[in-house]
Order: sequence, then C-alpha cells, then structure tokens
Amino acid sequence: MNTNLVDVRNVTKDFHNGRITVEALRGLDLAVHEGDFLAIVGPSGSGKTTLLNLIGALDVATSGDVLIFGQDLAALNRRERAELRLMSLGFVFQAYNLIPVLTALENVKFVLELQGVDGGRHERAMSTLEDLSLGELANRRPNEMSGGQQQRVAVARAIVSRPRLVLADEPTANLDSENSEALLRMMRGLRDKHGMTFVFSTHDPLVMAHATRVVTLLDGRVVSDEVKSAGTVTGSTN
Amino acid sequence: MRDVLLVKFAVRTLGRNPRRTLMSILGVGVGCGIVLYMIAFTRGSNEIRIRAISESGFGHARIAPAAWDKTRDSDLRLVDWERDLDTAAGMSDVRFTAPHSRTTALLAFGTRVAGVEMTGVDPDAEKNISRLVRVLSEGRYLEREDEGVVVIGTAIAERLDVELDDDLFVTIAGAGGEMKYAMLRIIGIISTGSRTIDSTICHVTLAEMERLTGYAGAGEITIVFRDPSNIDALTVRLSELLDGTDPVLSWKVVIPSQGGDMGSDTVFMNILVGVVIIVAVLGVASAQLTAILERKREFAVLIALGMKGGQIIRLILIEAVAMGVLGAVVGLAIGFPFIYPAATRGYNFADMMGGDFVTEGVLIDPIIYADMGMWLIPLAFAVALFSTLVAGLYPAWYAIRTNPTSALSLREA
Repeated sequence: MNTNLVDVRNVTKDFHNGRITVEALRGLDLAVHEGDFLAIVGPSGSGKTTLLNLIGALDVATSGDVLIFGQDLAALNRRERAELRLMSLGFVFQAYNLIPVLTALENVKFVLELQGVDGGRHERAMSTLEDLSLGELANRRPNEMSGGQQQRVAVARAIVSRPRLVLADEPTANLDSENSEALLRMMRGLRDKHGMTFVFSTHDPLVMAHATRVVTLLDGRVVSDEVKSAGTVTGSTN
Repeated sequence: MRDVLLVKFAVRTLGRNPRRTLMSILGVGVGCGIVLYMIAFTRGSNEIRIRAISESGFGHARIAPAAWDKTRDSDLRLVDWERDLDTAAGMSDVRFTAPHSRTTALLAFGTRVAGVEMTGVDPDAEKNISRLVRVLSEGRYLEREDEGVVVIGTAIAERLDVELDDDLFVTIAGAGGEMKYAMLRIIGIISTGSRTIDSTICHVTLAEMERLTGYAGAGEITIVFRDPSNIDALTVRLSELLDGTDPVLSWKVVIPSQGGDMGSDTVFMNILVGVVIIVAVLGVASAQLTAILERKREFAVLIALGMKGGQIIRLILIEAVAMGVLGAVVGLAIGFPFIYPAATRGYNFADMMGGDFVTEGVLIDPIIYADMGMWLIPLAFAVALFSTLVAGLYPAWYAIRTNPTSALSLREA
C-alpha cells in the first residue's frame, strides 16, 4: 500500500479579500497512499478544507503541484477536472447535501446517470443502498430521513461508482456519537472490502480514533503525520 | 433511458416553491394569452381586409400591362390577354379569373351628367369574383351576349335621376383620341349599401367596351387564389408562368394604401407582442434567478459531484420547458374566453366609422372577427416556451459560474 494516490508538493493557497491576503496553505507537502483512512485535523483556519478542495479538484493551488493518480491538476481544464471528480472521486459533505426532490435511490442513481452508465443503474444503486442497510429507505426523500440516514445515503452516493478516493469534509459534524460511530464503521468496512481510500477533514476525536493515519495542520503547514496500526480502532462507543 | 432523473429533478424542482412557480406560470400565461388575442385579432382583421379587397373586385392579384403600375392609365391593354387568361386559369392554385377593361366616360341623361370609370367585364367571371354585382336593387346583371346595355350603381342613378330601361348618353375618348358616342340602356341598378361604391359602378360587357373605345381586348385580369394566406408566393409563381410579358401585381401594389395600412397594423402588433414577451421574459428571468441564488449551494454540490456546465444548463432549461408547457396551457385558458366571442360575434366598428368604411373602392365590413383555429395551440406553446427558455438562459449561465468552494464554505450557515 505504498502507491501515492495523491501528491501535494510545496503547495500554497492564497485568498484575497480586498487588500487583505490570507495564506491558507504555506508550502504544504502531503502524500496520500492507496488504502489510507486518513484524518486531516487541526484548529479552524488551519487549512483542512482548503486542502480537501485542492485534492478534490474543486480549486487550484496558488503555487506548487497537486497530483491526483499521477495527473497534475494544474494541467487540467475546468471540464477535465469535472470529469475527474465524476469518474474517480467521491464526496461526502458535512450537511449531507442530498438533492431534496429525489429519493434516496434516485440520489444514488443520479451519479451513475451523470457518468452515462446505460444499463443496470437501478440494480447497482439498490445494491449499494442495501450494502449500507438502507434498502428500506430507498423511496424516501431526504426530508423523510434522519441526519444519520441522510449521511449514509450521501456515503452511498459517494461510493456507488466505486471511486478510488473518497473525500469527506466533517462528515460526522452533524451526527450524534452513535450515528458517527456507525458511519465510520461502515466506511472502514467499505475501505476494507473495496480497497477505497478515504480522506477526512475533521475535528471529531472519533474520526481520529478510526483513522489509520492522522495528519495535523497548523497555519497551513503539516505539523505532524502519525501512522497508526490497523488494529488501533477496535472499540465501540456503543 | 438517459437523463430520466435529470427530467424528474427539473420537474419536481418546480414544486419546491409552489407560490413562486405558480406566479411565474401565471405571468407566462397572461403574457401568452395577450399575445394570442392580439395575433388572433390582427390575423382576423387582415383576413377580412384581404377578403373585402378581393370581393370588391380587386381579387388577390392582377395581371396588368407593363406600364400600368407607373401610369395607372385605364386605357392600357394587355399584350395577349387571352393567353394570359388561359395561363392563369390553368394554374391549379388559381380559383377564379376575371378580365376587365376600363375607360373614363361621361354619362348624360337630359341635362344631368356624371363622370365615371366605365368597366368592361366578362359577366360570368365577374359574378365569381365580386360580391358587388350580386346586390342588385333593380333589374338584372349583364349577360355575355348583351349589347347596348349598362349596369350602374344607385348613387349614379339618383344623380342622373334615371330608372331601369332609361337610355343613357355616353361620351368616351376612344382609341386615336377621337370622341365616341353611344346610347346604353340601363338593365340593372346595384345597391351595395355604400354610396361611395355605388357612385363608381358602371359596367358593360368586354365586347361592348371594345366597340365603344376601339381598344381591343382586356386591360387587366383579376386573379383570386385558392389560398389567400400565400398570395405573395403565388403571385411570383404566376408571374414566372407568364414569362414576364405582362407583370402580375399583388393587391398590395394595386392598392398601395391598403397594403400600407395592413403592413403598419402588423408592425404595430408585432411591436406590442414583442413588448409583452419582453415583460414576461424579464419577470420569469427575475423569479428564476432568485431561485438559482437560493439553490447556489445545491449547484456547488452538483459541480463537486462532477456535473458539467452543459448538464446544469440542460437541467435549468428543462425546468424552463416544464414551466413553458404549463404557461402555454394557462395562456390558452386565459386567451380563449376573449378570443372565442371575438371570433364568433366580432366587434362592430360601424359607429366608430360613422357609416361606410370605404377606401379606394374597397368596401370593408364594419364587423371585425378574430381568427380562431387550431393554429393557436402551437403558437401558444411557441410563445410560452420561447419566453421561458430565453428567461432561463441568464440564470443557467449564472448557475454554471457558481464557485463550488465558496458556495460550500457556507455550510455552517
């Protein structure tokens, strides 16, 4: 598991607000390996979300290189970055962000439709929901589900196309500890079963406890990179 | 099937804010209804005008001598009128043809005189193209074999104080410039209801006109097409068949003031239709843009998921199409209660006109009817869909410009 899915090399990212320039990332280096269950932690303003946006091809670095699966993001245009996100990345957001007018099943199928998958969309989406114990909620709309259920559907949407890398921005922030634990166990299971790589930005100690690797940011730089053994997380908060 | 969910997504989105959607649909519907009514009324008015022109004896087009359009000289004659007549009558799009010849004449009875434009006609053909000859108050209309007889309008009869079977003394400037004289017996008096028209009618047979003037043949052939909505193209086609010996002029050239009136009415109506559509487009665009701003975060998520600009534009335009379809239905529902009575009972402008409505020899019916037909349905959909699609373009462009990172950073809000 030493292959680098992501290489972030000496990256800076500045934001301009009138005359004020905010340096969100200051020469940051990070390599994400295949199979990582990586938690990026740090105080607010340390650059976690900015880093996740760069890795997710949602933003471009001010300087330095960001390589995803060996591809330099700076060389990709807007459409190619969209294609990369669609085909190879999965996103889970803090606020779930399901499409409110579509059912759980339709939310999951929607990604396959965007990808242009012609046949078997229904079966694949349903199978993914069932894998996450969401089969009974397939025809419910987001407003008919709890926060924990919505976040599990969001995970189903992120993984239905079996992306190599899933990026999760504060996925447990709106969940209670019981739902958070269940969600993280489910994601660990997906990582173990399908070999997916997960990168979290988080403040949640529970996520850190489940992570196989914890990277700490401070003022836009990596200040620690701790690799934990796979067996570190065995306990349950239940 | 591809894009099924995109369509579901778009259509269900209309239900998110039902009040705004209903107001937008109502806005499109009202605009569409107004446009339908205006177009139906203008089309009806134009059709009535063209029919009135045709039935007043002008037809839809006229084969005339080459110099006629410039000189308007009534003594001009066609190069080969019988060939022209056969060619026109042989064209499948032509419904009726009627040859005419004209000259200026002085009618006298005792000490009374009246100057008129005398018209030579083929009586059988004339009955087909002109409603004026069907409204005789006394006597009968001409027959082809008639000789030494004339049919006049009531206003001329009153002016000369003549009755049926009286003999009129006719003075004409004939071919070569010499004066010609004849006595013509009145066999019919026409009463159209319009004194203006009745003061111009003085018909003799074509053969009589040849005898009186010495000019051989017809000076014009009046054409009535089967399809009055396609007059310009048919005029060109007939002109091509005639090889340009004698030009074919549409009624707009023959009676330019009528063509000008109809043209200006149509331009004015188009401007009003344009204004109504612009107002509807701006209203819907404003509502759509507000909806897009409210959904900025949603578009950021869609972009993050990998949705491309074209797919986002398609999503918003599908929403616009759904709104346009509903707007068209509402437009038909709003327009129909106004168009139906206008098409069946019409509007009577008789009082406004103050009696006859006659210009350049055309007797126009004072009751104007709107044109109602199945064509209103596709027009309603075209107007409504055009409005909503144009209104959706700017919001769609705005949506694809969403910066996902800044929109998603609002997550804590």
